Order: sequence, then structure tokens, then C-alpha cells
Amino acid sequence: MAKRSRPVKPKVNIKGDGHAGSSMLSEIWWVAWRNLKKLTRNPFLLFFSLMMPLIWLVLFSQTFSAVFSKSASASGAPPLPYDYVAVMLPGIAVMTSIQSSAQSGIGMVNDIDSGFMDKFFVAPIRRSSVLVGKLLADGLRIMGQVAIVLGIAALLTVVAGWRIPFATGLPGALLIIFMSGAFGVAFAGLSNTVALRTKNTESTMLVSLTLTFPLLFLSTAMLPKALLPQWVQDFSSVNPVSYLADASRSIILTGYDWGAIGKAFLTIFILGVVLNAAAAISFRSLGK
Amino acid sequence: MGAIIEVKNLVKVFEGSRQEKVRAVDDVTFSVEEGEFFGFLGPNGAGKSTTIKIITTLLAKTGGKVTVAGYDVEKDGAEIRHIIGYAGQSVGVDGDLTGRENLTLMGHLYHLSKDIIDERVKELLKILQLEEAADRRSATYSGGMRRRLDLGTGLMNEPRILFLDEPTTGLDPQTRNAVWEYLRRLHKEQGMTIFLTTQYMEEADQLCQRLAIIDKGKIVADGSPSKLKADIGADVVTIKLPQDAQFAAVQERALGLVRKLPGVVRAAPFDEGLSVHAPDGGKTLLDIVRLLDAEKITVKQIAVAQPSLDEVFLLHTGRQMRIEEVKPAARIGGRRR
Repeated sequence: MAKRSRPVKPKVNIKGDGHAGSSMLSEIWWVAWRNLKKLTRNPFLLFFSLMMPLIWLVLFSQTFSAVFSKSASASGAPPLPYDYVAVMLPGIAVMTSIQSSAQSGIGMVNDIDSGFMDKFFVAPIRRSSVLVGKLLADGLRIMGQVAIVLGIAALLTVVAGWRIPFATGLPGALLIIFMSGAFGVAFAGLSNTVALRTKNTESTMLVSLTLTFPLLFLSTAMLPKALLPQWVQDFSSVNPVSYLADASRSIILTGYDWGAIGKAFLTIFILGVVLNAAAAISFRSLGK
Repeated sequence: MGAIIEVKNLVKVFEGSRQEKVRAVDDVTFSVEEGEFFGFLGPNGAGKSTTIKIITTLLAKTGGKVTVAGYDVEKDGAEIRHIIGYAGQSVGVDGDLTGRENLTLMGHLYHLSKDIIDERVKELLKILQLEEAADRRSATYSGGMRRRLDLGTGLMNEPRILFLDEPTTGLDPQTRNAVWEYLRRLHKEQGMTIFLTTQYMEEADQLCQRLAIIDKGKIVADGSPSKLKADIGADVVTIKLPQDAQFAAVQERALGLVRKLPGVVRAAPFDEGLSVHAPDGGKTLLDIVRLLDAEKITVKQIAVAQPSLDEVFLLHTGRQMRIEEVKPAARIGGRRR
């Protein structure tokens, strides 16, 4: 440093950078790298954010199992070849995804408060890279969490004799993991919008928590549509969570239902564009 | 050489809640020469941070014109960001990352090559005396170490201009001295232009070649510290009066009396008493003591001194500058070296 003479010229070609595309990818990657690195330094946070889905997976599924098989056999149909937990597993995957996406906004508020966001903004990178990099990290985190949930379900299927068909095997599971990650990224737009508008972690947390359960219960995430009361059925058909749950359920119980999967991705796309556009607008106006 | 930072009629209005508008920066004009060590001195809320954030493209302005190295802050933000370094008031290092990782990340955000980054990180860790702690999470650092790391992140791109927003607030005296020493070296050895804000008179006095005193969004005086002090042209006698119910009345009466004394150039009230400028401070002090004693005015404290930046501030604002001391920077689970 001392050997350098003054004044120091910038090392990068600042106008008309010929590698605009690759530099953008690099920016996004390093923002994501930073967010993922933070995760590895907080393993407890990762663990505890999985507690709720796992409690549902191992406790609630058992509690409701008896009720479910009774109501299923009361309808006179032959006994089902799978346990209730197989029906509920897609719901738990969505739950994991929604809950985890709520953390996105919390991180955003923390970065603004700590002054770290200013570090990003004072660096010569695109503002969009900061947001996209963050979403990439969020998506990867959510996929990891859903993978753990599915992994434990699979383990219990093998070890404890749970009857979950996993009709499409590993590729199907990977598809569920990917869909859940994408859904989480789409939904993170809500958390980030609230975070950027309120700049307050409590509000951000509250909005996400308040929405999680109504969205889950007023959807087909916990029970197939036929078993829901009429008004819940009506609501569930406009609830994005249902489309995700239906697609995942087909993958686990019977096989790829491409119609349902297509609808799920369309839902993710629309939700993602709307919510993240809102977040992006708020993000752009930071400091403006 | 020539002005590297030009600020003309800068205005920033914050739209508060319930229609109240805050004019944080009110028609501020100044410039900074290339290679200069320039300072903004003022109390909390004077508009220092707001100005520095506008110049570093972190905040949009309401009015006026700001250019850095000829680039307009509004139109050429990206160009400006390439050539500046910034260390903010709220130490923006990631506590979950190690010191080395924080620096490396900034290097990548400046699109530097891996070799250059490694070399710079090594250099900076050494200069900032963070080598031993380099691979520890920066959350475990002491306040001073975090400050130095933050400074380091602002230096990764070898900036032409370094912006520091209250770089030593909350630091203990030794660490403060070490930071000063390092900033002097940066300025001297690399000819780096440094723009610093501070609420410490001593810091401004020691480091800055030129400074602007800012209060309530306006620049009230500027020049080199010695010129600002010389402008007073007299010794300063500070009289503190008891803070009781009669304070205001006594202050006014004393002011009237002191002003009539021969040898007093000017006398001004401030929130604890009077500040009197006189070419022969020693004699005037005695005169004042005799006069006030005869008039049965109790004096809590009286002292004569060479003018310091405190008096400069007082002269231009009618107040003594109070430092709202921030508690020594959060050192949660931190260790001191």
C-alpha cells in the first residue's frame, strides 16, 4: 500500500465494461455467498427454524392419523395404502417454505440497521444484484430445509414403518424441493416488502406469522380438497398454497400430475413477480 | 490539483411524518481540493452524515449540485462509487463473517481479481493490526478492531477519496490515537483525499488541514483550524454561572456589565454563562472578577485560555458544543486486545 503513488486510478474499466453479464453474475454470487456464509455461522438458527415443521411432521401427523383413516373408511372406500402423514407431508413442505421465507425480510432490516447495506450500496455494483443475490441465498436455504424435512420423512418411512409412497422416488423429491424453494423465493417478496416499508423486524415477523396459518389451513395443504368444508374449498381454490400442495401431493402419492405441477409453477411465477416487484420498488427507493 | 469535491447550494429535506419537514442540510456550499484532509465539525444532528451520504451517493439530495471528480452524484453514481471509499458511522461490518471474509467480500464487490484481493487483504490486515484476529468472526472484535476493519473495507479499492463518518466516535483514547496516526499516514504517503466528519474538536484540530463548522444544516465558518482560531484575535475568558432560578437574569446583568469593561472585544452568552474575548485575557479576568464581586454576582468558575475550536464554535453558534457521547461501541461478547 505504501509503495503506491498518488492519485490511485481505479483498477476497473468503469465505462462500457465489456463483461457486464459475467460481472453481474459475480455480484449476485458474492452477495449470495455472504448470506449463505452467515447461515453456516448460525447453525442454531437453521436448526430452530426447522423445529416447527418437524414437530408437525412427527407429532401432529400421528395425532390426526386416526381421525383421517376413520373418516376415510367411513366413506366406504377401501383402506388407503398410505398414512395420513403422506397426505400432510406436502403441506409441511409448504409450511417450511413460507416460514423460512419470512426470515428474508428480517435479514433485510438487520442489514439496514447495522449499516451493512450501505457497504453494498457504496460498492460499484447494481442495486438489483443485492436483492437477487439475497433471494438466491434464501432459495438455497429453503431448499436445504425442505430437503431435511423430506429426508426425515423418508428415514421414518424406512426405519419406523411410516407408509409414505414417494411414488416418484428421488427425482420427485428433488422436484418438490425445487418447487418449495421457488415458492419461498416468491413469498419472500412479501416479507421483504413489509421489511422495507416498516424497517422493523417485529412487524416483519408478525405479518409473516399471521399469514402462515390461515394460508395453510384454508388450503389443501393439510387435507385433500374433498374432505374440506365447502367454504374452505372455495377459498382454497384462490389460495396459492393449494396449488403447491396439490402438485407436491401428486408427486408423493401417485406420480407426476403435470397439470397440477404446471399450475403450481404458474402460481409461483405470478406470486413471485407481483410480490418481488413490490419489494424491488421499495428496495430501489432506499435512500431516495 | 483543483477541487475534487464540489458542493453547491446543497439542500436536503426529510419528509417527516405528519407533514413536518426537516431541513437537515440547508443551502450548503463548499469544495475540497484533491489531496486535502478536510473535515466537517459539528454536533449531532448538524447535517454531517446527511451531507456525506449524499456525496457518497447513498442518499438522494433535494436540491443543489454535487460533483465528485467531475462526476455528478445523481447521474454518474457508478463512476463515483469506483473511486471512493466509505466507512459509515454505524460500523458496517458483518459480525458473522471473519475480518478476512469481510475484506475479501468487498474486494469481490469491486470486481477485483482474486490475486489482487488476496494481496490487498493481507496488506490491510497487517496495517490495521488485525492479522491475529483475521480468521475470527468480527462479532468477537472490540469496538476499536471493528472500526479498523470497517476502515479496511473502505480501502479495498484503493480509493482516491476516503469518506469517514465519525471514525472515532465511541473509541477509547489509545485506539483513537492509533486511528489518527493511520489516517495521517494514508494522507501523507498516498496523497489520499480524506473527508471526515467529527464532533470532536481535538480530532478536527489535529487532523484536518481545513474544516467547515456545520450547525443546524448550515456551514457557519470554514478555514484551517489555525485560521479559525486566529480569527477570534483574542484570549477567551469563560465565566460559568450557577445554574439556579436566577440564572437567566444574572447572565443578562453580567453580560451588560462585562461588555462595558475596557479591553473586552466581544462578550456572548452561552448556556452555562458568558464567553468573553479580550486581547489581554489575564488582565480582563481580574477586571471581571473585581467587577462581578462588587456587583455581588456569584461566579461558579472562571478561566482564561487561548482560543480553541470550542470558542470558534461558540462564537459562530452562540452555544457550546456538546458531545453526545455514544457508549463505547457495543462490544457484545467482545474482548479487548
